[in-house]
Amino acid sequence: MALLKIIASGVRSLFHKRRVDSELDEELRTYADATVQDKARAGMTAAEAARATRLEMGSLDAVKHAVREVGWEATLESFLQDVRFGARMLRKNPGFTVIAVLALALGIGANTAMFSVIEAVLLRPLPYSDAQKIMRVASTWNRGGTLTSYTSSPPDFFDWRDQNRTFASMFAYYRGESALTGRGEARRVRVLSATAGIFSTLQAHPELGHEFNADENHKGANHVAVLSFGFWQAEFAGSPEAIGKSIQLDSEPYTVIGVMPAEFRFPLVGSDVYTPIGFDNNVMTQRGAHYLAVMGRLKDGVATKQANDDLGAIMAELRRLYPDKDGKWGVHVEPWSSAIVADVRVALFVLLAAVALVAVIACANISNLLLARATARNRELTMRRALGAGRARLVRQMLTEGLLLAVLGGAAGLLLAHWALSAIVSFGPKDIPRLANVSLSGPVLWFTMAISLGSALLFGLIPALRSSGLDASGLVRASVSSPREAQKLRASLLIAEMALSMMLLAGAGLLVRSFIGLRSVNPGFQPAGVLTLTLSVPDARYKTSASLEAYWNEVLTKARSLPGVDAVGAVTPLPLSGDDFSSSFSVEGRSVPDKDEPSAQVRAATPDYFRTLQIPLKQGRAFAGADRLGSTRVVLASEKAVKAFFPDGNAIGQRLRFGARGGYEKNEGEIVGVVGDVRHDGVDIPAPPIFYVPLVQAGLDSATLVIRGQSLSGSAQTARKLLQNIDHEALVGEVMPLQDLVDGSLGQRRFTMLLLAAFAGLALLLAAVGLYGVISYSAAQRTQEIGIRVALGATRGEVLGLIMRQGMKVAGAGLLIGLVLAFLLTRALKDLLVGVSATDPVTLAITAAMLLLVAALACFVPARRATRVDPVVALRFD
Amino acid sequence: MGVKSDKLSGVVQGTLDMLILKTLALEPMHGYGIGQRIEQISQGVFRVNAGSLFPAFWRLERKGWIRGEWRSTENNRRAKYYALTDAGRKKLQSEAREWQTQTAAIARILEAKPGEL
Repeated sequence: MALLKIIASGVRSLFHKRRVDSELDEELRTYADATVQDKARAGMTAAEAARATRLEMGSLDAVKHAVREVGWEATLESFLQDVRFGARMLRKNPGFTVIAVLALALGIGANTAMFSVIEAVLLRPLPYSDAQKIMRVASTWNRGGTLTSYTSSPPDFFDWRDQNRTFASMFAYYRGESALTGRGEARRVRVLSATAGIFSTLQAHPELGHEFNADENHKGANHVAVLSFGFWQAEFAGSPEAIGKSIQLDSEPYTVIGVMPAEFRFPLVGSDVYTPIGFDNNVMTQRGAHYLAVMGRLKDGVATKQANDDLGAIMAELRRLYPDKDGKWGVHVEPWSSAIVADVRVALFVLLAAVALVAVIACANISNLLLARATARNRELTMRRALGAGRARLVRQMLTEGLLLAVLGGAAGLLLAHWALSAIVSFGPKDIPRLANVSLSGPVLWFTMAISLGSALLFGLIPALRSSGLDASGLVRASVSSPREAQKLRASLLIAEMALSMMLLAGAGLLVRSFIGLRSVNPGFQPAGVLTLTLSVPDARYKTSASLEAYWNEVLTKARSLPGVDAVGAVTPLPLSGDDFSSSFSVEGRSVPDKDEPSAQVRAATPDYFRTLQIPLKQGRAFAGADRLGSTRVVLASEKAVKAFFPDGNAIGQRLRFGARGGYEKNEGEIVGVVGDVRHDGVDIPAPPIFYVPLVQAGLDSATLVIRGQSLSGSAQTARKLLQNIDHEALVGEVMPLQDLVDGSLGQRRFTMLLLAAFAGLALLLAAVGLYGVISYSAAQRTQEIGIRVALGATRGEVLGLIMRQGMKVAGAGLLIGLVLAFLLTRALKDLLVGVSATDPVTLAITAAMLLLVAALACFVPARRATRVDPVVALRFD
Repeated sequence: MGVKSDKLSGVVQGTLDMLILKTLALEPMHGYGIGQRIEQISQGVFRVNAGSLFPAFWRLERKGWIRGEWRSTENNRRAKYYALTDAGRKKLQSEAREWQTQTAAIARILEAKPGEL
């Protein structure tokens, strides 16, 4: 009630200002009259009494002002007055306003965009209820002190799930692709195979039909499918009749039992079909088969640490019980939200820090401009003080002007951010999780508002405090020339700008150098001019290796017949595809216990694969057409594999037998040649040891075709048609240039580098504009001095040197401080650099030279203008 | 502002409010009268000028502790008379009680002798 009354009376006096004012006038007049009468009664003459009263009461306006200050509406009113005045000042100086708003818009826009990315990728909760309780559980392998996370084996998963006391539920899954057949042309669908705990762990349930249960996690019982909403819409037009219908995945029938809600996605990129994993009866013996990803939901009130301890204790017992299979394995629990962004977190925070520095530089710049302008406004401000404006009042007014700039800059910044975000979404790397969801969301708008207001304070406070500190008596002395102290302040701001720019430049330089280094890394094959395309055939129809051999031979022949094709090969898995396959193996004649068997990456390839990718043959022979099904089994080793497993270099002639895990079991063969290394896992990751077996001898139903030739991209669709015609139920993937995979493998690095370089460029530009402004201003101030110098015989070169020296001193000081800062802070980039040290002297030297060059340019323009000063004009200049 | 120094300047704002409320508790009064009355009763210790009085009236009226009303004075001029409201009366009572507790406490502290502490 009281609050309402206060608001009501405030509003009343705002709207009935005139009446309230006239009442106050009358009241004060009565008061004055009474005072005068009193004094007259005490014996003063009428004139004396009137004079004494005026002295006593002071200015009636001041009293009225004091009364008006009482209500909240007064603050609002003076604020509005300041806004109006500030807007007038900004309109009167369009040049200043445009530069300041632009600088702010760049700073705020870049920050807003960067924060939007961080909000979407790192901060926004995952789209599951109580998502912070969802944990990723990984098996860990301790190799020389560094823990590497791996998938887990079914028995380990069952033991964790059944024995833990910290998880409310747990599930395991793996992802795959299947051909959807029996509905026209075969279509690729993303299949997620999971244990029944997936629904309770993610707290998501079918909106139609029902979920699968633990009984269906058995081989034979697992041919049921829960559809994603999108798949249901596409294949069944959203009809409820879909429940109970059958779909064919890889030519095997699955009964549709449920449909998930539209917003459900798992994993974050989504799947089309969810099916139960069909474990066979001897699953508990497969403790060494690591292929399951595991997730769990913590019980209420359980911390990650407790869960780690709990599972850790179970794992310790498993190590004791199964030393041969689990002896070297550990377990690690981590919140899912942080597990998925582990790779990008450092880069994103480095970028946010960089972009914050850009905003600071923009603020310093505007501060500088305001300081220069404040000098020109000395007269106005001293006049206001003399008329009785308090210091706080002046500071408030100056800050309001700053606020106005910040609001304009913030609005323009939002616009810039909006554009920047659409660019980031379309050109950003595809492997940053949830980057596609970035938007100017609620939290982002709050952030933008906060930094706009923050920057108004940051750039407005120094000039405001300085100008308001002017002595009222300064009115007499006020002159246009700037006080020395202000010059010093502006120079320090400039030095700070230069130093921060130097730091950003150095950081960006390091990333650029590291990236250039990676670009020139030879991945071990020549990607240019190679197209890739993944094929797989339903294994239900190709039960024998002979039928598969026939299929692959026909594929290779047909592909080779395409116009412009030079070479065709096939491999699985393809380098840089993100897939890999490794197997333990034994070398004939060496006896080691099972558990100590070495393990290496295994590829299945056709004879021409090496020629197509131009992977060099180093020793012996490559695969040949004669290495067919039924002929002697052969193996190729990569140089790394030779170095790792045959240190004496005698690999050729040795016989290998590949181990227990699915796919290549019963594969064995004699090493007949050695080929060059291939960076399979990423251009920035060293090549692993690899063994190759012939595709047809391995009897695989899926592989990636690699085709080298000239101007092939036009015939991509022809090629797909041709291959589709060999078998209509085969799954023919999209054609993709191998170069795209190479570029994509560096996508995150390119993204970080480009953004940091853009921010550093922005910083340099802002600092250069600042330097230019200060030097121009001071050169203009010194026109008279220069005129005298020229009149006394100074040459143009001397005048040029004079002005340049002044600017370069500032730039040099900033550069030195910046180098020291860079030296200390670029360590933060350590994780993002490859092949270049965080304090690489070459990079630091080049970026420092760049800064000096830009600074010199920024000083040269005003300096040259100064040399054109006509001494006669200059001497008349006031 | 005025040449005559405002002797209340060292006193907290709340005190002036209390003095005004007390003055009005005796009888409704116009602005000049209130100032005079405070000076008289305090025997010239408190002299309040217009620059402090009027903002205080405004403030108290806003809080609903006093109510202003235009009336004619004894010599037939229009003046704004202020009167205490019920809320103002309650406020005055609690303020006065608070004030007495505080001054008594301060007095005890000031009279304390070395041995007592």
